[in-house]
Amino acid sequence: MIAFSRRTIPGVVALALICSSVTSAQAQTATSRIVSAANAFLSTLDEKQRQSVLFAFDDEKQRVRWSNLPTSFVPRGGISLKEMNATQRSAAMALVSSALSQKGFEKVQQIMEGDEMLKTTDNNQPPAGNNGNRPPAGDRNGPPPGNGANQPPSGGPPNGAMFGKDVYYISILGKPSEKDPWMVQFGGHHLALNITIAGERGVLTPTLTGAQPALYASKGKTVRPLGQESDKSLALLNALDENQRKQAILSYHVADLVLGPGQDGKTIQPEGLKASAMSDRQRAMLLDLMSEWADIIHKSAAVARMAELKADINETWFAWSGPTTATPGNNITAYYRIQGPHLVIEYAPQRLGGDLALHVHTMYRDPTNDYGRGLAAK
Amino acid sequence: MRTRLIAAVAIFLSLGAGAFAHRLDEYLQATIITVEKDRVEVLMRLIPGVAVSSIVLASIDTNGDGVLSEAEQRTYVERVLHDQSITVDGKNAIPTLVSLKFPAIEEIKEGLGEIQIEFTLDLADGGPQRRIVFENHHQNQISAYLVNCLVPRDPNIRILTQNRNESQSFYQLNYEQPGGGSQLASLRAWSTAHGWMSSVGFTSLFRLGMRHIAEGTDHLLFLLALLLPAPLLALGSRWTGFAGARHSLLQILRVVTAFTIGHSITLALAALGLVRVPSRPIEVLIALSILLSAVHALRPLFPGREARIAAFFGLIHGLAFAATLEELGLGRWERVAGILAFNLGIETMQLIVVAAIMPSLVLFSRMKLYSVVRIGGALYAGFASLGWIAERLLGVHSSVDVVVNLVAHHAAWIAAALFLTSLGCWWLRSAFDQIDTTTAPSVSLPLTGRLPAQSINSRPIAQIE
Repeated sequence: MIAFSRRTIPGVVALALICSSVTSAQAQTATSRIVSAANAFLSTLDEKQRQSVLFAFDDEKQRVRWSNLPTSFVPRGGISLKEMNATQRSAAMALVSSALSQKGFEKVQQIMEGDEMLKTTDNNQPPAGNNGNRPPAGDRNGPPPGNGANQPPSGGPPNGAMFGKDVYYISILGKPSEKDPWMVQFGGHHLALNITIAGERGVLTPTLTGAQPALYASKGKTVRPLGQESDKSLALLNALDENQRKQAILSYHVADLVLGPGQDGKTIQPEGLKASAMSDRQRAMLLDLMSEWADIIHKSAAVARMAELKADINETWFAWSGPTTATPGNNITAYYRIQGPHLVIEYAPQRLGGDLALHVHTMYRDPTNDYGRGLAAK
Repeated sequence: MRTRLIAAVAIFLSLGAGAFAHRLDEYLQATIITVEKDRVEVLMRLIPGVAVSSIVLASIDTNGDGVLSEAEQRTYVERVLHDQSITVDGKNAIPTLVSLKFPAIEEIKEGLGEIQIEFTLDLADGGPQRRIVFENHHQNQISAYLVNCLVPRDPNIRILTQNRNESQSFYQLNYEQPGGGSQLASLRAWSTAHGWMSSVGFTSLFRLGMRHIAEGTDHLLFLLALLLPAPLLALGSRWTGFAGARHSLLQILRVVTAFTIGHSITLALAALGLVRVPSRPIEVLIALSILLSAVHALRPLFPGREARIAAFFGLIHGLAFAATLEELGLGRWERVAGILAFNLGIETMQLIVVAAIMPSLVLFSRMKLYSVVRIGGALYAGFASLGWIAERLLGVHSSVDVVVNLVAHHAAWIAAALFLTSLGCWWLRSAFDQIDTTTAPSVSLPLTGRLPAQSINSRPIAQIE
C-alpha cells in the first residue's frame, strides 16, 4: 500500500505540474495578453499622455470619433505615434498587434505604409501656386510597381502633418481588464479599428479599412493592402451562374459607402443575391471573403466571429454594383456589399485620385454589436 | 487669410495628386428612409465635393456675405425639398420639415461639410400595398445619389421591392402594411388565421402573382394567342367557322387548365430548388411559344392538340415565374406557402383576363368579321414575339416592350371595346337575320360561320366533342 503510494507520488506530482502548466497557459489567453500589452503601454506614458489616451468606456463621443479622412480634418482622440518616443511607439504597436491576428496586423501596417507613400508622392508635387489641374499621380490604368513614382523625395514634407505612418492615434476606453469590457481604438487616415474586449470575447465592429494608393511597390514587391478583399469578391462573382448574377448585380450605381462613418446603428433593407440561393462552394467562397474582415482580430475572437457568420450564412446577402471585371493584378472598380443579421460589409472604390482601382474605402459592421453593445447587453 | 490659404492648398492638392479622402467633384446626396406605421421619416445628408462646393455655396449664401444665416439655411432647405417629387400611392406628398443642420462654411468649402435635413411624410389610410416614389431633382447636373430604406422597426411592415434608376435620382419603394382597408380583407383574415401564411406575406405574394401575370405581358399574350382560334374548327390548313358554344368553352377551359398545370409543376420544382435553368434561354423559349401560338392562330399548326401545347409551354413559363419568386429570397418553408400564394395570384389574374375576353371571343367567332380580330391579334402577338426573340437572343434593342406595354396599359379599355363591338355586331347581325328570316325563310341557322356547308359540318362535330 505504502509502496504503491510512493510510486504514485511522483506521478501525481508530475501530473499536477503538467496541469498547472496547462492552466497557466490557459491563463495566458488572448485577453490576458492584450491586457498585459495595454498595461505595459500605459506604463511607458507620462501622466499627461496617459490622460490623453484614457477615456471612459461609455464615452459615446470618443467612440464615434473615427473617420476615413486624414486626422487633420477629423481630429481623433488619444495620442499619435508621432507624439511618442521609440519605446512608447513600440509598446503601442505591440498592443495593437496583441489584439489582432498576424494577417490583420500586416493589413494594418500595409494601410499605414500606403499613407506613407501618399505623403512621399505628395512631396513630389510642384510648389503651391502652380495651376491645380495637374493630372492624378500615377498611371490611370494601374501603375506598374516599382516605376519610381513612389520613391521618397528629397524635398521637405509640406503635408507631413496630414499623412504618413506616424499620424495614427491610439486611445483606450475603460480600464484594461480580463473581465469587464473595455476598448482599444487605433486609427487615422483610411483606418479605424474599434476593438472591444469583453472577457474572452473580442469584437472588431465597427471597423473601417481603406487604402490609397491601393496598389504600390515596397521593397521590390507589389503591395495591395486590400487586394484579397478585391480578388475574392471577383472570384465569387465569377462563380455565380447567370441567374444568380442577375440577382446579385444591382441595376444602379453606388457612389460611396452607405453606412460609413457616423452612420452607426442603421440596418438597411438587404438587396442582391441571398446566400440560401448559392451552392455550398459559393457559400464557402462568400465566408472566405467575409473572413478578410472577420479575421483581422486575434485568432480566438475571429474563430467565434466566423462561427457566428457561418450560422447566419443563409440569411446573408451579396450585392454588386459596377464593372464585373478587373485588370489582372489590380483591384476591382466595383462596389459590393455583404449583409447578414449580424454583418454589414461594404467595399466602395473612390473616384478621388482618378483611378477607382487605386483608392478604396471599406466598412465592417455588426448592427447588433457595434462597439460591443450587444455583449454588454448580454 | 489663413483659412483661405488652407482651402486653396486643399483644393490644389485634391485636384492635383488626389490626396484627400473627401469628395471631389460630386454633390453627394444620401437619403435614408424609415417607414413607420403612420408616417415616413426621411434623413437627407448633403455633402458637396470640394470642386463643386462653390456652386452649392452660391445657392445657399445668396447675399454672398460669407455667412450662412438662419434665413438662408431655411430658404435653401425649402428649395431642396421643393426639388423633391414625392408621391405616396400615386398621390403627391408634402414633406414636413423636422430639423436642419448646417456645417461651418469653411467645412463646406473644403468638401467636408455635411448638411442634414430631416423631414416626414404623413401617411393617410391606404390599402395594404403601399408605394412611395422619391424623385430628387436637386442639383442633378453635379450630384451623386444614394437612397436606401431601413429595415422597418414595425414587424408588420414588410418591404417588398426597391426600384431605382441608374443614378438613384429616382427611387420607388413598395411595401406591405397590413390593416389598411384591404380589398382582400377576407383572404387576409383567412391568412392571419393561419399564422405561418401571414408570416410569409401570403397576401403580398398572391398580389405579386396577380401583378406578375398582368404586367408580364408575354405570358398573357401566349395564352390569348392560343385562345384566339379556340372557338373555331380547323379544316385542313385553314380555320373555318364557329364550332359551337360548348366546344368553345370546353376548348378554352382545356387550354387554360393545361397551361396552369404545366406552369405549376415547374414553378414548384424550381422554387424548391429541384431544377435550375438559366433565365435567358427560358425567356427566348417563351417568346418562341408566343410566335408558335400566333402562327397557329393564323393557320392551324396543331389543331386539337392546343391543350398539350399549352401544357408543354406552361412548363417553360413556370420556370420564369420561379425566377420572380426567387428574387424575393424566401426560405424553403416560406417557399411552399409562397408557391401556393403566388400561383393562386397567377390563376386569379389569368381567370379574370380570360373571363373578360371570352364572351367577346364566343360572340365574335360566330361572325365572318372574327377573322379580322383573329388575324389582327395573331399578327400583333407574332410581331411582339419576333421583337422579343431578337432582343433576348441577339441582344438587339427593339421597342417591342414600349409598344406592348402601351397596349397592355389600356388592356381594360381594349377588352371593353372588343366586347362592345362584338355585342354591336351581334345585335346588328341578329337584326339582319330577323329580316332575312321574314324574306328568305330558307336560312334556318342564323348563327352560322362562313358558309352554310361548313356550319352544318361543325354541328355534329361540336356535339361529338
